[in-house]
Amino acid sequence: MQEGKPLNSKQVNRELLVSILNSPKWFFGALAVLGLIVLIAMSTAGFMINQGFGVTGLNRPVMWGFFITNFVFWIGISHAGVMLSAILRLSKAEWRRPATRAAEILTVFSLMTAMTMPLIHTGRPWRTVYWIYTMPFVPYDYARGIWPNVRSPLVWDPSAVYTYLTSSILFVMVALIPDFAVLRDRTTGMSHRIYGMLAMGWQGNARQWKLQIIAGVLLSALILPVFVSVHSIVSWDFGMAVSVKSWHSTIFAPYFVVGAVHSGVSAVALVLIILRYIYGWQNYIRHEHIDALARLLIVVATGWFYFFVMEVIFGFYGREADEIAVRNLQFTVSPWNIWMMIFVGMTYFLPVSIWLSRSLRRNLWVMSLACIFVNIGMWLERFLIIVPGLARKQLLTFDWYTYRPTSVEWIIIVGTFALVSMLMLTIARVVPLIPLYDIKEGEILRTEIKIGRVTVPAVFRED
Amino acid sequence: MAKAPILGLFESADHAADAGDALKAAGVSPADYDFLTDTPYPEGAFGEREEPHRVYIFPFIGALIGLTVGIMLTSMTQFAYPLTQGGKPILSLPPMAVVTYESMMLTAIIFTIIGIIFESRLPAFKQGLYDTRITEGYIGVLVNVDEDQLGSTQTLLTQAGAIDVVRNDGGSAA
Amino acid sequence: MAATEPKGHGQHAGMWVFPDATLMTAEMGEKTKAMPRAFTLGLAVAGILFILGIVGFIARAADNGFDEIGPWGYYMAIFSMVFMVTSGAPLAAVAFRFTKSHWRRPLSRVAELFSIVGILNLLMFIPLMFLLPDIANPGEVAEGSLAVRRTIWFEGPIGAPHAWDLVGVAFLTITSMAILWLSAIPDMAECRFTATGFRRTLYSRLSGGWYGTKRQWNSQKAGLALLGAFYFMILVFMHFVISSDYAQSLIPGWKDSIFPVIYTITSLQMGLGAILVALFIMRRWGGYEGYIGKSTFWSASKVLLGITLLWVYHLFAFFITFWYGRMEIEQNIIKYLVTDTYAIIFLLNLIFSFAAPFAVLLWNPVRRSAWGPALAGVMVLFGGLMFNIRIFVGSANAAPGADLFKPIMEHVPAPVYPDIWDVFMVIGGLGATVFIYLLATRVLPVMSLWEMKEGTLYQKWGKFIRGEYLILGKPE
Repeated sequence: MQEGKPLNSKQVNRELLVSILNSPKWFFGALAVLGLIVLIAMSTAGFMINQGFGVTGLNRPVMWGFFITNFVFWIGISHAGVMLSAILRLSKAEWRRPATRAAEILTVFSLMTAMTMPLIHTGRPWRTVYWIYTMPFVPYDYARGIWPNVRSPLVWDPSAVYTYLTSSILFVMVALIPDFAVLRDRTTGMSHRIYGMLAMGWQGNARQWKLQIIAGVLLSALILPVFVSVHSIVSWDFGMAVSVKSWHSTIFAPYFVVGAVHSGVSAVALVLIILRYIYGWQNYIRHEHIDALARLLIVVATGWFYFFVMEVIFGFYGREADEIAVRNLQFTVSPWNIWMMIFVGMTYFLPVSIWLSRSLRRNLWVMSLACIFVNIGMWLERFLIIVPGLARKQLLTFDWYTYRPTSVEWIIIVGTFALVSMLMLTIARVVPLIPLYDIKEGEILRTEIKIGRVTVPAVFRED
Repeated sequence: MAKAPILGLFESADHAADAGDALKAAGVSPADYDFLTDTPYPEGAFGEREEPHRVYIFPFIGALIGLTVGIMLTSMTQFAYPLTQGGKPILSLPPMAVVTYESMMLTAIIFTIIGIIFESRLPAFKQGLYDTRITEGYIGVLVNVDEDQLGSTQTLLTQAGAIDVVRNDGGSAA
Repeated sequence: MAATEPKGHGQHAGMWVFPDATLMTAEMGEKTKAMPRAFTLGLAVAGILFILGIVGFIARAADNGFDEIGPWGYYMAIFSMVFMVTSGAPLAAVAFRFTKSHWRRPLSRVAELFSIVGILNLLMFIPLMFLLPDIANPGEVAEGSLAVRRTIWFEGPIGAPHAWDLVGVAFLTITSMAILWLSAIPDMAECRFTATGFRRTLYSRLSGGWYGTKRQWNSQKAGLALLGAFYFMILVFMHFVISSDYAQSLIPGWKDSIFPVIYTITSLQMGLGAILVALFIMRRWGGYEGYIGKSTFWSASKVLLGITLLWVYHLFAFFITFWYGRMEIEQNIIKYLVTDTYAIIFLLNLIFSFAAPFAVLLWNPVRRSAWGPALAGVMVLFGGLMFNIRIFVGSANAAPGADLFKPIMEHVPAPVYPDIWDVFMVIGGLGATVFIYLLATRVLPVMSLWEMKEGTLYQKWGKFIRGEYLILGKPE
């Protein structure tokens, strides 16, 4: 599992800090393009808020469409951080080293992006402020005698997402302290002062390193339950509803969580391949890492497929007319059934067939395509859960309708992708996206065992 | 006599460990010297002192506080708005459990972070003797000795293989 | 003792053992043949319980016959418990071998040997096949009744569900035995010349032409990987089938997509718990402390802690989804299985499948010991028994007679308490499992020799600067 050549600290510093200390020519151009797309999306959102929801495809009974799909999608992507960082750290997998930081940062930005979706979906976002922040601390609505449903999953949602966001940010910041110290030592002027403040006087003595390692393990163990709860609670936005039959399924919680891990880890694999290409990190993001990610994805994808099958089987199990109506729409009516086939193919069969082949796992172009397919498929999955369920809500057949998204929704969705990409690019200028000390630790713990004529790579282990 | 710091820089971990052995043999207390590295070495790799800590208390305290806050917040809001929704009781335990759990985990994690930073003796407003070459891969042996022993300590470090010795008085010697 | 002193310093003192590969075969052969007093006593007690179980079964059959499933609730519960442990434990061997961890080596064979108990399980299933009501309504389809009750088989293809369930359980048993056999071939080949009596005949027949050539090792590795993947798939499928046919579909209106998942997780939890208990007994009284280091308990208990948390998470997902909607059928299910009828059993289930093992496994020093994970193992086994009693006694008695073909369970039934034959059958099932397992340990070495020897190639104790640490080889 250790295919790369040995690296010394100076080389690691020089190569991994290239995104911060150097300014490649393409950077500002790429940032400008992405920034433009984000601006267009923000203007479109402003237009929508000004004109009202009539400019979107949302209408009774499909009150939740692209925006909520996108919300769930980005929450899903955010699960990659904890999966790779926490679970692989706890299982002491050596191949996690280059992936953890990028995954954690992707988590933070995708969570932030996800949270913009319900905000614009309120249609009148200033009312959110009225709920919480009005002087003299009596929320506007409550003051007029309109009481909130404090037992609703829509209240559990922000508590979970904010907990996950706060925890992820704090986790990243603590893990960044040693790398801020490296940047403090490599920069001058204002950057030096800012990195110095962020490094908090880090020296790198044994006590500080011991606490860093403990922080990694302890925080991983604490964040893992939060990670499981976040997407479960998002799934319960749908699962608690009894009026939309296909949503009221007990399996939604683990189904969504495993789906989130699937889409998130695929997204991280794609991000790593892109980073390897744009920053020349072939020594750090090696074929063995992408290979390991792909093998992990086979297991995750198969777990996801099991949950998907359970959800569908038990959907038909009850043989209730309203649920059968939804399933009919999903599986037999065009174009929904075509989307369904594309979704299942792109999420499971196509990528897993690719990942079963060692040579294809190590082909970065093919892997990128497979990861993109997974994410398209997972976006479609959320869409096919939310919209057909609403389109065939209950047996009120007079109320059955369909959903046709408008350009307003498309632009805002594309804008969220541009936002995350833009934020990732920007942060790559500020913090190293591969943890320096983690890579250096992997180098010093490297050793070999001789068995007969063969030399087997090995690692030193403390526990 | 006041103590002063002196920092020896070593290219290899073995030489740094030799310096540690020499310091121990010279009667310097293990509490008076530290190994500064740019990457975590396994505990005990340099024969350094053990570092006891109490960081595990912090998540427990945080969890207890979060649990209390969560229960209070959820029960008080339910009593503040006593609306029967969908036939559920005014004080509904399962939804309380969800928000209380999140609150408990959030506070546990925040307190853990505080604990880690505190136990790491950070933020260190006065950084102390340091050299930027440490983050280039050199291993620093930072020793606190009486001022009249600085010279002998410098000799000891150099003999152990230090490529440079840094002192607070601006002195630096290869 | 073939082992050197256990290594590890500070909080990891005594974590790792490095047995001597050259002495392993002889020692293991001796231990396999030996019948120490404590062992024979355990075998005798288990055998007596086994006999009591058979007595209970015959008495129940004589009293009630095989027409109604109601009186057989406790039998179903103990069948399910044995099924969960015997199917879940080999999966631990398969899964940990798949992740290429080194700490799993001592537990591989311990886990795989549970597949021999699977034969008992298959035999126990046969009466259940006759007890399961038909899918089609045999009586007149009255107003408000269903012509075909709700099952995963829908309209019911030919033989469904009885024959398919039997074939599935048989397949599962055969696959797990195949994994055991394939994994044991190198050990049997190694021992065939030094073994005597029936063991010699058995080893020679079953290990065939194994001489340990490169080709043979590669084939064995590929075979174990393929069989492991197949075993995993068929296990998940059979858990889905058994949990649906013998639990969910017997309670009208219980539509719960997460129940098969909860069933599988409980099975994994119990399987791992059983393995940890077995490892503790071997280490403490079997003289295996030189082979089973605390590192195995340290790592396996982390997995058990994770599974325990997953268990309560899935339970909560089921509970809150049913609780929130206030639908009559879902409220009735909750009253029946959680809050009213079987409330005490549920409480014991929750405590022993989650609260108690969580409280035990939370602490690093406890997870680093051998007794801590074993204690948690005992707890989860008891919790699993409570789970099975709650679910299967509940489902067997939820809707007697024509009520089974109603669309929903309209009234919450009263609890069914065990009589003497039920008690005999439950303790008999547990005794039978222990009895057959103990016998199996006299047939095959309880530790996988080839995996342990392979481990000695890749696990060393070495110096790094001024410290000494474990060196782990990573061949792939």
